[in-house]
Amino acid sequence: MGNKMNKIVKTAILYFVLIAISIISIFPLLYLFTISIKPSELIFSTTSKFFFTPTFQNYQDIFANGRFIKYLSNSIIVGVTTVIIATILGMFAAYGFARFKFRSNRLLRMASLIPQIIPPITIIVPLFTLFASMRLMDTQRALIISYLTFTMPLSIWLMTGFFEDVPIELEESAMIDGCRRLMVFIRIDLPIVVPGIAATMILSFIYSWNEFLYAVILTGRSARTLPVMITSFMTNKAILWGRIGAAGSLIILPILFFTLFSQKYVIKGLTAGSVKG
Amino acid sequence: MNPKKIEPFFYIGPALITLFIILVYPLGYSFWLSFHNWTLITFREGVDFVALKNYYNVISNIDFIHSLLVTFLFMFAAILFEFIFGMGIALLLNLEFKGRNFFRTVILLPMMVTNVVIGLTWRLLLNYEYGLVNKLIKFLGFNAIPWLSKTALAMSSVIIVDIWNTSSFVALLLLAGLQTLSKDLYESAKIDGSSKFQSFMYITLPLLKSSILVALLWRIIDTFRIFDVPYLLTAGGPSRATEMISLYVYRYGFQNFNLSYASASSYLMVIIMLIFSAFLFRIFRKDY
Repeated sequence: MGNKMNKIVKTAILYFVLIAISIISIFPLLYLFTISIKPSELIFSTTSKFFFTPTFQNYQDIFANGRFIKYLSNSIIVGVTTVIIATILGMFAAYGFARFKFRSNRLLRMASLIPQIIPPITIIVPLFTLFASMRLMDTQRALIISYLTFTMPLSIWLMTGFFEDVPIELEESAMIDGCRRLMVFIRIDLPIVVPGIAATMILSFIYSWNEFLYAVILTGRSARTLPVMITSFMTNKAILWGRIGAAGSLIILPILFFTLFSQKYVIKGLTAGSVKG
Repeated sequence: MNPKKIEPFFYIGPALITLFIILVYPLGYSFWLSFHNWTLITFREGVDFVALKNYYNVISNIDFIHSLLVTFLFMFAAILFEFIFGMGIALLLNLEFKGRNFFRTVILLPMMVTNVVIGLTWRLLLNYEYGLVNKLIKFLGFNAIPWLSKTALAMSSVIIVDIWNTSSFVALLLLAGLQTLSKDLYESAKIDGSSKFQSFMYITLPLLKSSILVALLWRIIDTFRIFDVPYLLTAGGPSRATEMISLYVYRYGFQNFNLSYASASSYLMVIIMLIFSAFLFRIFRKDY
């Protein structure tokens, strides 16, 4: 009897702590959303009001001149293109690293990780001058190229691990049947590694979507992405919190979506790269 | 050449060549820049070779040293607390209970969300006059706290936001490590009469060593390069109290347009980071 009570108390404490941590985790995000639907005079009041009539004025404002749509499409185009290039090139490289024994394998694998160690601010200084001299400033291409500097190493690193997990016997039996290596790669390995590829793509997309430093330096009016756009609501005169709330909520919406509905893949990606070390 | 030997490069080549073009070449160029004099005003008249002058200027600049110290302080405090909370969360999520996946996902959200949005949201939350945190403090009968406008408090705020942001990342990596540990070990320890705390200290921690090191390496790399959150939360202020090293290089490179100075200081960052990583990799190697 005492034992059972003990267990119930323990479970209650466990859930209490978990719920507390969850509230701390999501509260700022809920707050951001509340700001977006609050009438602006209430944001700046020094007293709190829990009940108010929600307004969608802020959403209308950010959509009004068509710029939000433009920068949204920039974010999507840059993100998707980066992910496609990084995944395709990374996939082949990862397979190469996982399946071939050659002298420089370990060295090259390590070398492809170096970009992860170098701070982005170091990479951006030369990219800035290069893009300026090539007249690529403020273009989507410039952003895609810069985002490849972190998505490619990530893709290679993650997918090498996934390909190594594929039992080599599967390949060997296919080879005996006379399949060529490339066919084996496409027919045997790829289908097995699909969840890993999905994890890699989702993670690369989220990183590109969230990126700010490259975007703020390399883009101006035309190639700007959403994270840069939202900072333009901080003007010299005032900070337009309502619009920041609206734009911010919309920016994090796909992130919430990906994390909640493909959490298995996201977690797989996040841990795979690191646990194998 | 033997076709067998070329085959791997058919797979690896395209990625490596791309990485070389977009990374090695630009980095080589900025390495070259760091020994020359390039500013927006003078570069058209020619770029002079100045040997180590930029490096000397950076190292003897009090602001650079200050930024470095600020970054290390931030790094140390943030990582310390992230590991304490991260370990706690990981141990909780390693228990078996209903809704484990749900809680794991919810707790994970802060680290996935766009950093720019995090910085801005917390800037409003911590606002002196109308921020929710101070409203709550006043409601409880205390005085409002100038979170973002006093030197030491601003630093604490950046650290707090980072803890909120990435404790779950540390938790996730530690949890992955915890899940590889076998339950038998704990059973036999229990039979031998060791307490839960003892099993944690003498079984869990030593076996988690590699997960801890990996998480530590990632956190060091990430805190050292932090830009978005302090840029939007405090903009490096007040009076440069939270000007992390990336913010410092940004100010010189892209607000003062002294690119050779920025190159030199960012190369010093790389050197520091390489020393750190080499050091951590050494610890790794010793055990495996």
